[in-house]
Amino acid sequence: MIIGRYYIDHKSVVPKIVIGALIALVAIFPLFTTNMVTLSIIILSGIWAIAVMGFLLILRTGQFSLGQAAFMAIGGYVSAILTVKMGMSYWPSFVAAGIISGVIAFIIGIVVLRAGGIYFSIITIAFGEIVRIVAMNWESVTQGASGILTHAPESLTVGNLEINFAASVVPYYYFMLLLVTVSALFYWQIDRTRIGGTFRSVAANPVLAEHLGINLMKHRLIAFTVAGLFTGLAGAYYVTFLSVMNPLIFDLWKSVQIMMMTIVGGMGSIVGGPIIGATLLYTLGIYLSRVPIPNIQYLVFGGVVVLLLLVLPKGTGLVDQWGKLWRRVFGEPEDFQMPGEEGMDEE
Amino acid sequence: MPPAGIWIDGLVQSCIYMTMAFGMVLVFSILGILNWTHGQFYMLGGFVVYYAVTAAGIPFPLSLLISGAVVGGLGMLVEKVVIERLTSPGYGILSVTAATNALIFFFEGAAGMGFGLMNKGMATVLPGVLDMGSFGVSYQKIAVIVFTLIIMVAMYIVLNLTKVGKAIRATSQEPDAASLYGVSVKWVRVIIMGIGCALAAMAGGVIGIVQSVNPFMGRIPMIMSLLAVVIGGLGSLTGAIVGGIMLGLLNSVIAYSISYYSEVALFMLVIILLLIRPQGLFGAAPK
Repeated sequence: MIIGRYYIDHKSVVPKIVIGALIALVAIFPLFTTNMVTLSIIILSGIWAIAVMGFLLILRTGQFSLGQAAFMAIGGYVSAILTVKMGMSYWPSFVAAGIISGVIAFIIGIVVLRAGGIYFSIITIAFGEIVRIVAMNWESVTQGASGILTHAPESLTVGNLEINFAASVVPYYYFMLLLVTVSALFYWQIDRTRIGGTFRSVAANPVLAEHLGINLMKHRLIAFTVAGLFTGLAGAYYVTFLSVMNPLIFDLWKSVQIMMMTIVGGMGSIVGGPIIGATLLYTLGIYLSRVPIPNIQYLVFGGVVVLLLLVLPKGTGLVDQWGKLWRRVFGEPEDFQMPGEEGMDEE
Repeated sequence: MPPAGIWIDGLVQSCIYMTMAFGMVLVFSILGILNWTHGQFYMLGGFVVYYAVTAAGIPFPLSLLISGAVVGGLGMLVEKVVIERLTSPGYGILSVTAATNALIFFFEGAAGMGFGLMNKGMATVLPGVLDMGSFGVSYQKIAVIVFTLIIMVAMYIVLNLTKVGKAIRATSQEPDAASLYGVSVKWVRVIIMGIGCALAAMAGGVIGIVQSVNPFMGRIPMIMSLLAVVIGGLGSLTGAIVGGIMLGLLNSVIAYSISYYSEVALFMLVIILLLIRPQGLFGAAPK
């Protein structure tokens, strides 16, 4: 599996201040509009971005999991069941959702990571389907296909500021930003430190990595568990925001969408790529669903993804084009050569 | 012991899974990728047969061939336009995986727009029931089994007794050596994609007379045939056939005793099998 070679780093091309300005713009966005629809699109894209980062972290170790939506489902169900059925308040149940999802990822990981490559992907598909079927038929706990209706989180008091989630969508927006920031920092820290390099070596050449004394299983398990934990948190938050949980929200096709978001966004950056991919594809999906012709949204969505994959240069995603676009618009810094570009043209 | 009707239903399912898994393994052995759109070619095949039989009045066996030709051609187009580019050197396996997954949405949307979301049945083809004493078997189910046997025999002939089959087998073993002996590997890839998709289409057409046809019918058979492929071992044609038969029969027999949870049991079984024998029943041991 060729993954490791195309991490082109464009960080040095685009000035940091631009990225900072973009982040600041996102942070003050609710000042311009408190339109419910616009904000919910951003909130949900942010939640998907967390799941996509998890997928990408697992991908860094060379495995691709097609069961990531199942972890969102587990997180969502844990928080919904704890709050609605057991009367727990939301915030502890949110934490519990992440922890339980992480623990399940750890247990599943011990079992299925032994089978690598395509077998791992297929087993994770089977795992996702098992979660869906159990959720559909275990009516006493999950209420089957009709689903569980959840309520808004309790208001939080920070200092003398009361944050009321039931009143407007803005608190959800800022909590989403917090969640994305925390998980992005966590993933980014993993990715840029020694353990991230180890992940890549496990993906690029497992045999060599093992001979160098790297425990393959351990590193794959770390990636899978961390991804499971944050994906579970994302699922729990998603469900609270939608205020309903049923087995159809996170089916296999959501896992497939997570994969598409990863590829389209680009694998070069563990934070930038997922955010770009998730935001673009999720927004595209939402706007397409408003087109009054039934089913055209699937057609266009699939078509756009295939076209993007065909148009984008070899194995890169949108995030890798970001620096190229910057250079085209604002001119090229002197003597700049992208790391790794020399080798790419030969093939 | 489940009654005979359950076993017959299982056998009908087996036929479908077997044909689809066979096509998938063929594509995998030459192109080196899993064609995730396989289930949608199956669905399109069902629609072609439906319209050929009901709208154009073409006899059923002939419309099966037509569906194979039409959808096979579509598969060749997909290979030429999408897969060939995305499997060229430099692309990772993920690009082509994502692209074939995106095609799932594309074809389902197209079918939903073109043919509508309603279930379409072909109950008028081959009505009647064969009385077997204690139980009856409808002619339609017998037709599924017979046509599948014909398709598999035809595949055996094509692969083992024709020049094209020789080229295909040579390419699957040693693509470089085959191209040195004058086999156009590029065309073998296109042809094999056509054959694989035609097999899926014919499976969809055959099942159309027993079940109904709708745009989302391809999803579960796709997952099932994927499981059949990995049970049998990726790249093994015998494995695909055995895996397909096992899955179809097991699914039907387990469902008889524990209803909804049969799929859970089945998936667990596959996971356990893969953990004990990761290369599948008939796959070569990893080097």
